[in-house]
Amino acid sequence: MGYPYSHEKETVVLSRGFGDPATRTLARWKEMGGYTALEKALNLPYEEVIEEVKSSGLRGRGGAGFPTGVKWSFMPQEKKGPHYLCCNADESEPGTFKDRELMRWTPHQVIEGCLIAAHAIRAEHVYIYCRGEFFEATQVLARAVEEAYEAGLIGKNILGTGVDIELTVVAGAGAYICGEETALMNSLEGRRGLPRVKPPFPAAIGAFGQPTTINNVETLCAVPHIINRGGAWYREQGTEKSPGTKLFCVSGHVRRPGNYELPLGFPMMELINDVCGGLRPGRTLKAVIPGGSSVPIMNAEECASCTLDYEGVIECGSMLGCASVIVMDDSTNIVKQVRRMVDFYAHESCGQCTPCREGTQWLSRILVRIENGKGTEEDLDTLLELGDQMTGTTICVLSDSAAAPVASSIEKFRDDYLALIRRGERVGAA
Amino acid sequence: MSDSKRGGPDRNVPFRNPGWAGNTGEYELSEAEVRGEEYVGIRSKDGGHPSISTTMPYILDEKSPDAPLFEGEYRERLDKIRSRYPDLRGALIPVLNLAQEIRGHLTSETMKEVAAELELSDAYVRGVATFYTMYNKAPVGRFLIQVCTNISCNLCGGDEVLAAFLKHAGVEMGETTDDGLFTITEVECLAACGFPTAVQINSRYYENVQPEDVPALLDRLREEGA
Amino acid sequence: MADSGTKTERVTLTIDGREVSVEKGTTILEAAEALGNRIPHYCYHPGLSAPAQCRLCLVEVEGAPKLQASCITTAQDGQVVHTQSDDALRQRKGVLEFYLANHPLDCPICDQSGECKLQDYVFAEGRKHGRNREPKRVFGRDDFGGDILFYGDRCVMCTRCVRFMNEAAQDPLLTVVERGNRSVIDTFFDEGLEGSPYAGNIVDICPVGALVSKDFLHKARAWDLDHTPSICPNCSQGCNIDLHTRDNRVHRLKPRPNLDVNQYWMCDYGRHRYDWMNRTDRLEAPMIEREDSRVATGWAEALEALTARLEEVGDRPVRAIASPFSSNEELAALRLLVNALGGGEIHFRSPRTDEEIPLPSFPKLTRRKDLAPNVKGAEFLGMARVGDDDATGGLEGLEGFDGILLVVGDALPDCAPDFGSDAALHIHLGSYTSRATEAAHFRLPIATHAEQEGTFTNFEGRVQRFWPGLEAPGAARPGWLVLAALAAHLEGTAVPQRAEEMFLKAGELTPHFQGITYQDLGTRGALANEPVALPGA
Repeated sequence: MGYPYSHEKETVVLSRGFGDPATRTLARWKEMGGYTALEKALNLPYEEVIEEVKSSGLRGRGGAGFPTGVKWSFMPQEKKGPHYLCCNADESEPGTFKDRELMRWTPHQVIEGCLIAAHAIRAEHVYIYCRGEFFEATQVLARAVEEAYEAGLIGKNILGTGVDIELTVVAGAGAYICGEETALMNSLEGRRGLPRVKPPFPAAIGAFGQPTTINNVETLCAVPHIINRGGAWYREQGTEKSPGTKLFCVSGHVRRPGNYELPLGFPMMELINDVCGGLRPGRTLKAVIPGGSSVPIMNAEECASCTLDYEGVIECGSMLGCASVIVMDDSTNIVKQVRRMVDFYAHESCGQCTPCREGTQWLSRILVRIENGKGTEEDLDTLLELGDQMTGTTICVLSDSAAAPVASSIEKFRDDYLALIRRGERVGAA
Repeated sequence: MSDSKRGGPDRNVPFRNPGWAGNTGEYELSEAEVRGEEYVGIRSKDGGHPSISTTMPYILDEKSPDAPLFEGEYRERLDKIRSRYPDLRGALIPVLNLAQEIRGHLTSETMKEVAAELELSDAYVRGVATFYTMYNKAPVGRFLIQVCTNISCNLCGGDEVLAAFLKHAGVEMGETTDDGLFTITEVECLAACGFPTAVQINSRYYENVQPEDVPALLDRLREEGA
Repeated sequence: MADSGTKTERVTLTIDGREVSVEKGTTILEAAEALGNRIPHYCYHPGLSAPAQCRLCLVEVEGAPKLQASCITTAQDGQVVHTQSDDALRQRKGVLEFYLANHPLDCPICDQSGECKLQDYVFAEGRKHGRNREPKRVFGRDDFGGDILFYGDRCVMCTRCVRFMNEAAQDPLLTVVERGNRSVIDTFFDEGLEGSPYAGNIVDICPVGALVSKDFLHKARAWDLDHTPSICPNCSQGCNIDLHTRDNRVHRLKPRPNLDVNQYWMCDYGRHRYDWMNRTDRLEAPMIEREDSRVATGWAEALEALTARLEEVGDRPVRAIASPFSSNEELAALRLLVNALGGGEIHFRSPRTDEEIPLPSFPKLTRRKDLAPNVKGAEFLGMARVGDDDATGGLEGLEGFDGILLVVGDALPDCAPDFGSDAALHIHLGSYTSRATEAAHFRLPIATHAEQEGTFTNFEGRVQRFWPGLEAPGAARPGWLVLAALAAHLEGTAVPQRAEEMFLKAGELTPHFQGITYQDLGTRGALANEPVALPGA
């Protein structure tokens, strides 16, 4: 159920318990069927757990959409040392606010997902890397972990199955880039959060030099349901290539922002106009960023026929990312918002790759100049070329992410830029 | 300010809280229920179960810049933290958190103590500490107020909320009020985009904050801080 | 059969249309270098780990979805690489433009100018005109302590210096602080690099002018300096170096790669001791005894007078003092001359310390206890060390010595002006003026190692060549030439004309050098023959 609003069109799987403080407790969670999936999974050979998740078609909810079961199967067949599972709870993509809800309303769901995944990849230790700012949500999760330890659900010989899994909740310290899986591992190891060069991939050399799998909170939360109800059941929701339900984080200019759980493939306009109560009176849709700030911006025409699944959004010129739908109505100054996003990337760039370190700041400075009415049309060409120079040239994709909104907004909202350039007007003067 | 000027939640609900989004939608939740205070309870300074010893708050109201770092319950917590990592380096971030929890900010002296404890070089610890934005390198006020101005909040008036905080506290961005109560900064997306504008004050989130809520919020903090 | 297991596997790939076969595991960047094709790079350094963060070595690899960082992409059999394709050039041009976004245009006052990789790469592949109209970020200058200054604005963030201190020196005093565009290299607040014995290398590996030497600051333009391969003369390690000279002065020493001796590095102790090569209190003309005084003459006259005196004094005991700062050639020529005079003991004095300073990543590179370059060579030629660790004393046995006394290369700083005055004939071959040589009947000016060709034998018996980087002042000549000419005169043999010939003669004197030619030594040196027990040792 969505929070802080719900809607009858929702399909409630993961969000069961949102807004109900009682759901946090182990007792209530067990009444709701919690930890039955864990018991079932631990009594299955790990290969069968992976097969079940593969058959569900579950795709990573952190943004890339990589099939989860396939990712798990990359872990070495022959176990030579410890394996680690990292749960990525470093939610920081602008527009995204689903993992925090999962953690603070259904912490045991997160834990159960982690434990099943740990069994599947034969990890003896799970690290849940929580965003440092999420102090309150982390405390809820921490209490739940304590409860689960006390109940023998984590630790040695879980539920008498002979499986040993330790779990540690760690808090970051303020760095968007640590949501990138290899940067997360560096941060976990007590290093600067710099993304690592791949290969080697984490499944070969991950955290502390050992084979590691990293999954997003929402991905792991789906796992207990798949184990309990089967991969085939999961596929009943969503589309063929994007099965299942997804938490859609809607923010910006809608009347009822928040999280809604819907099957993938849900039409975007229905989400905005129906589920989210539409725009404010008298306003029209100008733009949507469908997957968090790192994906290309869409104009109203592109949104009209867009369905919210991985493939559907690509067809309409953007990406689903983590399904963070940022809605902008006609009062929005696109240049200002793009500049704000680029500022964010400049602030969060780890600084190791030159195109990103220098490029994000350069883009920001040009955009500030345009915003202040001192831009030229030539600047737009420079922005596009710099964006191109920042794309595909760095270790991770933060650089590409900073370039995407710039390029797409110039392409789709060139008039907004030209208006500022030609009139020499500052933002807000219009 | 009228609705048409700002986005965000429906303004027609009867009561809108500035702080925890518990009854701005369809739910009727108290602040404590939203924050989970009852469930979490009060955690002891030794960190509780080792598995969660790394999760203690590190922006506290009370700061003791000269207090010892690794004594008593804090030593116990340090040992628990270390037990969760295969090497000493892994413990660095939770230990820096612990240091900031006690002292409020990280000085060169504090970094040196942490480095010695974890057998790392001083320069290395400085490199890590400066990478992460949550580490204060200079003293901050009793309340560190961080206002999100990133896109989702920005669309709904984040800049105005920030301006309101600065105005009503009477301070420039990044600076601390003369009474030592408030330090106000801008912050990147807090991942509470559905509750604009999101503001983090020490370790608490305040959601749905509007410019007109700011005076009352500051008063509440002044009361807490008195 | 047994060999097949140890044979290294090789792969063959094509780079820019040319095939190259390299050991498996070689990177594309290294394979290209084997073809003489330099791919631009900053963060890669052969002696350090490769973080692939400078993004400058991007090349096109057929079949790869995007450009690959050649410094970490290993060469595969059948791979086809294009370093000069439109895409590769375009992307590298783009990356270079970012380097210039905040880089100051202070080349006219930057020490690195002329040997700056940013200048070089931008000139070769960069945009003709910059597009940046925005204000630049300013960090300013920071004193890192010791000999090192840091100009943050020039830094390209390759982190070679940080990695050198972490990985090679294992003295992690440097780090990157802050992040993103605010990232900057720094030490721990005001604690600098002072006292870290290998820190000077970070200046060498800095591809731009961010890290500069205070000693060299604003002293010379890079393009005015001549580079001469040499051997560091400040201890017996024998680090391969280049003398950087201008106007007949050494301005700095830089390490020259030799994987067997010093890899890419040298210690600060050696690096900063070059002033003595520039000393001006030199012996510049042969001085011969005339009545009660000494007068300057030409070489012909001096040698004529000297041979006449040798005949005059006839058969007498011979004693010689050599120097471990002399080349193998000079020492061998001394041995030849002493033998021609009927034989006699040769001693040398040598500075020593108790402390060794190893480079932790490669402990074979150590600032050795012997603080002279050719102790081993002197030992190989049957010379014995005398005196104290500060290279004084040990000459008490020569008091009242009335035979033929030869002193080569030791300025006898601790000796009284009447040293050797009882000798029937006292010959001094030296480079510097010194009070203790005043009693010598003949004072003959010889070149320092920086002024001549020759070889040193390092602590492990590796014989390494050096070349002349300076011109010897006045009439100073290589010591071996003077000594060998005298010996040849006495023996009636031909005078060796080149250092190489002299070295071959050394091979006749000691089995250690037997059969070794300069060609065998090349630029990297070679180990002398297996040490055999020295007679009387």
